[in-house]
Amino acid sequence: MTKFILDRRALLAGAAALPFLRSHSARASTPGNMVFGLSSYPPTIEPWANGGTASATVKLMIHRGLTSFAADGSAQGELAESWTREGDRIWVFKLRAAKFHNGDPVTAEDVKWSFEQIGDPASTAYFRAEMQRIDKIETPDARTVRIVTKEPLVTLPLWLASFHMPVISPKSTKALAIGAGPFVITGQERGVSIDLARFDDYYKPGLPKLKTLRAVAYADENLRVAALHSGDVDLIEYVPWQAMDEIAADPALKLDTTDGPFMYLVFNGSKPPFNDARVRRAVAHAIKREDLVKGAFFGRGSGLAHLPIPESSPFYNPEFKNGWNYDPALAKRLLAEAGFGSGLSVTLLSTAQYGMHKDTAEIVQQHLAEIGMTVTLSLPDWATRVALGNRGQYDFSVMGNTADNNDPDGLASAIDGSLPPAYVRSFNLPTPKITELLQLGRVTFDEAKRKAIYHEMEKVAIEEAPFVGLTWRSQGYAMRKGVTGFTNLPGALTFFTGETFETTATS
Amino acid sequence: MAGYALRRLAVALLLVWLVTSLVFLVIHLIPGDPAELLLAQGGVSADPAMVAALHAKLGLDQPLWVQYRDYLAGLAHGDFGSSMVDDHPVSEEIALRLPRTLELVGVAGFIAVLLGLPSGAMAALTAGRWPDQALSTAAGLALSVPVFVVGTLVVLVLAQELHLVPAGGYVPLARDPGRHLLLLLMPAGTIAVGLTATLFRVSRSAVLEILPREHVRAAQARGLAPRTIIFRHVLRNALMPVITVLALHLGGLLGGTVLVEYVFNYPGLSGTLVDAVSARDYPEVMAIVLVISVLVVLLNLVIDLCYGLIDPRLRYG
Amino acid sequence: MRRFLTPAILLGLIVLLALATPFLPLANPLHQSIAHRLAAPSWAHWAGQDEYGRDVFSRLIWGARTSLGVAFTASCVAGVLGICLGVLGGFFRGAVELVTLRLAELVLCFPPMLLALLVVTLLGPGAATMILCLSILFAPGFARVAYAETLTLRGLDFVTAQVSLGAPSLRILTRTVLPNIAPPLIVQFSLTVAAALLLESGLSFLGLGVVPPSPSWGLMIRGARATMTQAPLLLLWPCLALSGTVLVLNLFCDRLRVLLDPRSSTARPGFLRTALGLPPVATTVQAGLLAMRGLTLEVQRGASWVPVVRDVDLDVGPGETVALVGESGSGKTLTGLAIMGLLPAPIRVAAGEIRLVGTELLRLPENAMRRLRGSDIAMVFQDPSSALNPLHRIGTQVAESLRDAPDEQARVVALLGTVGLPEPGRVAQAYPHQLSGGQRQRVMIAAAIANHPRLLVADEPTTALDVTVQAQILDLLAQLRSRERGMGMLFISHNLAVVADIADRVVVMYAGQVVEQGPVAEVFAHPRHPYTQALLASAPEGDAVRLATIQGAVPQPWALPQGCAFAPRCDSAFAACTLDRPALEACGDGRSARCLRWREFA
Repeated sequence: MTKFILDRRALLAGAAALPFLRSHSARASTPGNMVFGLSSYPPTIEPWANGGTASATVKLMIHRGLTSFAADGSAQGELAESWTREGDRIWVFKLRAAKFHNGDPVTAEDVKWSFEQIGDPASTAYFRAEMQRIDKIETPDARTVRIVTKEPLVTLPLWLASFHMPVISPKSTKALAIGAGPFVITGQERGVSIDLARFDDYYKPGLPKLKTLRAVAYADENLRVAALHSGDVDLIEYVPWQAMDEIAADPALKLDTTDGPFMYLVFNGSKPPFNDARVRRAVAHAIKREDLVKGAFFGRGSGLAHLPIPESSPFYNPEFKNGWNYDPALAKRLLAEAGFGSGLSVTLLSTAQYGMHKDTAEIVQQHLAEIGMTVTLSLPDWATRVALGNRGQYDFSVMGNTADNNDPDGLASAIDGSLPPAYVRSFNLPTPKITELLQLGRVTFDEAKRKAIYHEMEKVAIEEAPFVGLTWRSQGYAMRKGVTGFTNLPGALTFFTGETFETTATS
Repeated sequence: MAGYALRRLAVALLLVWLVTSLVFLVIHLIPGDPAELLLAQGGVSADPAMVAALHAKLGLDQPLWVQYRDYLAGLAHGDFGSSMVDDHPVSEEIALRLPRTLELVGVAGFIAVLLGLPSGAMAALTAGRWPDQALSTAAGLALSVPVFVVGTLVVLVLAQELHLVPAGGYVPLARDPGRHLLLLLMPAGTIAVGLTATLFRVSRSAVLEILPREHVRAAQARGLAPRTIIFRHVLRNALMPVITVLALHLGGLLGGTVLVEYVFNYPGLSGTLVDAVSARDYPEVMAIVLVISVLVVLLNLVIDLCYGLIDPRLRYG
Repeated sequence: MRRFLTPAILLGLIVLLALATPFLPLANPLHQSIAHRLAAPSWAHWAGQDEYGRDVFSRLIWGARTSLGVAFTASCVAGVLGICLGVLGGFFRGAVELVTLRLAELVLCFPPMLLALLVVTLLGPGAATMILCLSILFAPGFARVAYAETLTLRGLDFVTAQVSLGAPSLRILTRTVLPNIAPPLIVQFSLTVAAALLLESGLSFLGLGVVPPSPSWGLMIRGARATMTQAPLLLLWPCLALSGTVLVLNLFCDRLRVLLDPRSSTARPGFLRTALGLPPVATTVQAGLLAMRGLTLEVQRGASWVPVVRDVDLDVGPGETVALVGESGSGKTLTGLAIMGLLPAPIRVAAGEIRLVGTELLRLPENAMRRLRGSDIAMVFQDPSSALNPLHRIGTQVAESLRDAPDEQARVVALLGTVGLPEPGRVAQAYPHQLSGGQRQRVMIAAAIANHPRLLVADEPTTALDVTVQAQILDLLAQLRSRERGMGMLFISHNLAVVADIADRVVVMYAGQVVEQGPVAEVFAHPRHPYTQALLASAPEGDAVRLATIQGAVPQPWALPQGCAFAPRCDSAFAACTLDRPALEACGDGRSARCLRWREFA
């Protein structure tokens, strides 16, 4: 069949061959200076509050914590040179010689102060609740920090690596948080851009390689890509999936993707029909995940028919890979068993504001229609959607998220039914077995035992389906060929990629 | 004359107060809690205790009428409040963004008048024949393409493919006047496409209505040159409906350029407004609405005065 | 009418398509086929498949239903709401105006996006919410236009007459006001529907529009924009549909407006017209100031041309005043306009010549004619209030006649003085609406005689004035006649009493032809044509209580009776009158009459 698609490249090739019309495209690229296209302007860059992923990226430029993530997902030392464990509950961190942006050395007192601020009952820090598990923090000398936990806490170093746990100077003010990261903020234009410059006394010699870094917010994904093509920016985040193929094919650009975030369904367990696990499992088996990947993400991603534990993780269980495989006959049977053999009507909550959420909802709606479930879409704006989700005012809903880290414990916020209601997880859906296993996994240090625990947990999760995985989605960064040293960290760590700004260089 | 102006001013103030009160009411009614939204960023569950604490801090725990009263009191002192999201004084944000929006709307209006009025008049003077048909078809097309499609095409063709212009953004006039103008012309031009077509249609219609009038024939009977007749006796009389429509559209644009701002990354007031509503940032929303309604009311006042300038029958109230 | 039908039919088709959609054999617009997403057009899917593999063609038609439904409904609701507000405010003024107009202004103060945002967030997205939203947003536009038009209309005589006669307001509003303000409102409607369609797409772009998966053009555009580079056609289809509909709608509204507004004409404005081709004349008729021979004017009716002025001969000598008399419909005004070259567009000159001191006027190119107007020939129109531009000062408009004379201002003031205006300096600074009818007519006369024209055509100059003022103006004209020596005047009127005082000779016209002409005193004393007799009989004299009118009415140019045109109304008609058309015969003493029995009327 003849293709009708107009080749506008051919059309414009002639026009583009008029060199005298080209304006100076070397706008952004001078070696040592980089312009980075953010997907939104960070609403806040308070060091310990969660301001979203853009905020996290900027925080990773200006702050550092005790630890950070290595590419394999394990914790590596940052402000802490090394650490040891004394028994199950005591962690001893040795600090390296580092300075804050104002020149003061980073001392154990500063670490203690930062963590106590985070744990303060009145703080709005993301890890406030977690900090309650810490009994006390001691500072035997200026370079040693002793953290005593109330009960064994395997994942402590991983927490400390989070971009919500930086160490800042007690001299910080609300307006300016003084961190110890590779860059310093030299200017800001609210809603538009942030200018940063190299911190010369950064504790890693020779880093950061960039002299200046400018982060400009491009809310429109089309414009973000256009800016990269036109040379206005050197690097962009959140590459839209429809543009990934053409960027990969473009010899002047590089694409670095990883499957980290995932889409899933959560349910309202306080009333029928989704208080019945069989109905939830029916939904899980009725969805053709390849269609979702193709339809919502242009093939950039893969199906997720189990808990979002990545294949590269030691805790991955291959036998559960197709735990919720596409089986419409099974789905219909389950529905019939639950008493809905003649079909049922439900409302699916999502949002019209984000394309990936809306697209996923539309496709899910179609698939469920084929097993006799009539789904009406509710697509309010994001703020309303969050409010409805937090209050459990829905039947089931589409959600997208990333785990906090590559450890299975990072999934707790999405599947643990004992946690207070939140739009990221099912509502009023008790999961006693899962809760128990999660807790066990947190306090067990033995690797093999942990594997067994999480194996059991995944099995239960697939049976009870308080969470139905839909797809992994690809998270991509695109950059000019001249940008080196920037690496998209794998899996859930993709949002920590901002760590690699310190090794990024432009030519 | 003074009495008339004072009365209009009083009514204008009343209107502004009504608008802001209405918005205050509605925005507090719609679902979505700013404190909850702030604390629920990134998918974390907002601890009810923390939400309550933030409510108290932001003054959201007071009954609605108390909040309203406090808001009005603040206004009386010229205090617009601070953004709930990052505590940034709202007045600073408006001072930063308002001039840009005014620039954008002003330039768009200027282009539209420059192009739309003469072409509309010409179409009316050649009504039914090919210049009119061509222009009217072009205007119809221009009126029917959504502004964000035009903008996207402009970015795609001019920026991405031809590298003639930067892909959106903004640079202050002082820093780089050339680039500033270029970055202003793109969104302004995009807006001007539809605005020009509208003014075209209105001027064409207005001129068509004036042409058969007796005073035009009388002017011809005095032996005046066509140019004199067109400018003195046709165009001037056709101005009224044209400036009415222009004022209507400019007023609407003041708060409605969000789509163009989005597509061109132009940091104007409208985008801030939409973001503020998304975040339920009440002080920011209220302040921007207040500023825009004051401007619209002022614009209407100016237009009414213009009416008086153009048509002597409408002077002295 | 034909020009109106084409867009009307097209629009009707579109509407029909939208209404009939459920019954058409279209593919399921919701059925997804991810494997075939973004497919190019094929026989199975005429417009290709969208990002979910759904049939684009089907979605276009279904989308038409949604988008057009929303846009039209919202525009109609907005129109009804806005027009009510505007008309009520403009008609009743006072407190009603305050409330209605300020209500409209209140909505205008709202940034439209914000209003849409708030309404949709409050009520949830969907078609019904959008209609509500759009109606509120577009009502003020209608209100403003309706208000402005009503205001203008309300000041006009025929409306104030109805009001003072005590006609019920509702009747005035529906029967008089609404039909007259329709044209600009129709344009506003077309603009509103286009704007509504666009706003729907904008709102869908922000996620505030119609709820997917139901198709709408706005949603299709939003979806297609993301895949613009891979599948540009996807974006093209809904944009074309939108543009096409808007274009058809615009055309429809334009033509409807022309249809409804009898005054509007899409013909070339007079001052831009070039001379019509007429056969050149060889004869040099040189008699006096103005010599008109065989003037025949035609109007287009359907496919043919109907004569409205037939074979008129007219002479005006220097210093002579000739009155051109007849009922309305006799063609007298058109004859006068023909001399000036100011015939309205539907009228064309079929034959004849008009010579002004040797210069043939009908064959002159427009720019040459323009040089004559205002300097050699001038015209005074019937209604001085509409013949003056309300926006310019009197002095400015009179000065236009003077064509940049060096001492313009002084000359203007002097001119105004010569036409008998007290305080001419003050009058020169005034605006037309500040003068009375009589004063305005004096101004028109001043402008006309500014350059001492050879011929002054006065078209019913006193008809629109009241009786006492009439006399003053006639006096003025008489004065001018003696003062401007050599100036000939063609005085057009239907009022015989007026004519008797001022004219030297009279030419009587009926149904486009001259039926009698001769010196005034003699014609009035001894009319030789039954029509002239009837006119004289019916003219009110002194304080006559009863007005004798002529039975019947002037026949339409395309429905002339066989034989003499006046025969059906003529008391003296006999058999021969209905068979042959009488010719204009000379009766001696410079008189002529077009009647078979003129000899009998001595």
